[in-house]
Amino acid sequence: MSDAKPSSAAPPSGEVSRRGFLRNSAVLASGIAALAASLAPLRHLNGYLSVDQFLQKYYKELTPKEMEKVLDRITREVEQQYQIRPHVHDYKPLDGVEFVYCLNLTRCIGCRKCVHACVAENNQSRDPEIQYIRVLKMPHGSLDMEKGDHNYAPASVPEKGFFYMPVQCQQCKNPPCVKVCPVKATWQETDGITVIDYNWCIGCRYCEAACPYFARRFNWTKPSIPKERLNPEMSYLGNRPRPQGVMEKCHFCIQRTRQGRYPACLEVCPAGARKFGNVLDPDSEVSYILKTKRVFIQLKEELGTSPRFFYYFDV
Amino acid sequence: MNAAARISWVLTGLSLAFLGLSAAFCLDLWGHPAKAPPIPLVDTNFISTATARMSAADLTRSGGDTSGLDCYVCHEKKKPLKLKLDAEGNVIVDKAHDDIVMGHGRHKRNNNCFNCHDETNLELLQTRDGRQLKIVESPALCGSCHGPTYRDWEAGVHGRTSGYWKRAPGETDKMDRKVCTSCHNPHSPPFPSRQPAPGPHSLHPPAKPPAQPERND
Repeated sequence: MSDAKPSSAAPPSGEVSRRGFLRNSAVLASGIAALAASLAPLRHLNGYLSVDQFLQKYYKELTPKEMEKVLDRITREVEQQYQIRPHVHDYKPLDGVEFVYCLNLTRCIGCRKCVHACVAENNQSRDPEIQYIRVLKMPHGSLDMEKGDHNYAPASVPEKGFFYMPVQCQQCKNPPCVKVCPVKATWQETDGITVIDYNWCIGCRYCEAACPYFARRFNWTKPSIPKERLNPEMSYLGNRPRPQGVMEKCHFCIQRTRQGRYPACLEVCPAGARKFGNVLDPDSEVSYILKTKRVFIQLKEELGTSPRFFYYFDV
Repeated sequence: MNAAARISWVLTGLSLAFLGLSAAFCLDLWGHPAKAPPIPLVDTNFISTATARMSAADLTRSGGDTSGLDCYVCHEKKKPLKLKLDAEGNVIVDKAHDDIVMGHGRHKRNNNCFNCHDETNLELLQTRDGRQLKIVESPALCGSCHGPTYRDWEAGVHGRTSGYWKRAPGETDKMDRKVCTSCHNPHSPPFPSRQPAPGPHSLHPPAKPPAQPERND
């Protein structure tokens, strides 16, 4: 009977029925539209990743000449985005230098100036906010981190009965964050600074989970930095503007300290609670502190991370 | 309805649904999640490296108003100065100096002007062992009582510093070490309390006000 009345769904081989054609093209059209829709987020990708960026080699494999090209490209990109010509450098670790930070808990008044000086120096995102330093307000007589509060907002500090403990990257000698990185985008340099290659980071956030000090921050969105607050003195491993989707953290102001200067958080501290220097130099301030002061803690010492960040007390 | 027609209907339905979804995606019909309130830029005072106050040396260097350091505009040079004391032996600060709040030492016991100022020349300071110092040389005077702190300060460990950690011995100009009175008011030395900079803003607006952490005091 099928010969007499051919089914519209199954036309004779080699022929396309009108209905079949319409149906197939509708399916095809909706399929293509759905594909396009699923790719719609790519519309926002403009400028996210250039070919050069994508093909860039690992930091440690870059020859000086290639590095120069990379720095040129970053300069161009920053200038295009912020209309400010930055000075991007790649500072190498100095010989015979191991950085150590000492923080005087007797002196810290909890004013949070270090937090904001750090944000300004290191071109951190303002909104959403990324801050490397958190200041914990702790009750006297305890070093229990669980009792710390970083949302305090009194009219004036210090408050009676509390001391303040700023926490930032401790630049561990035995850094857990470096161990867990699956792509080796973060490593420890010879001067003790643990750095991140922002172009090599895949944003898996393993290091954030591994860090016992909550020192690492993730760029959930494209960082927003107002033009007038951009710091044009930049370094590759330090404070150049980060792309979306990578980790960042305190790097002891690599762009300052590798040129011999003090970090920004130290210079802004009104109480002089922060001290920084080369521990291999017996005459440095940090050596003096480690020799003569009651250096009380390396934070979470029991974890064996061996921080290069020491908290101490006067008297 | 035969199988072929049913398939046809289902496929048409699916196509329409997909088309609808794709249109919705492309036009962002669902909109975006509610945004947290914008975070204002921090006041530049909080990132300024200025010290808590100006020492006499800072004031002179910056060309500020140093008329307050000119004692003999009001005082007479040859006339010795008598301190007025109240019944408890505390110095009564004259009206001309009412900006001075006396609060030096435990229980404010260091309250005699001439413990530090030289009574024979008011523009100088005197240590307890009789040395005369200029106003801008105050660290040596402070150090004559605050020995351990002075020792730390000399080592660069007490107080504000800026400049370079990397400096050859003798390159003193590479480190800007503030003097005592850049931060401490000599008449009332405890470091003043101040307003803290704004705390961290969370990524998402809080659903409810955060619970106060437990305190044990």
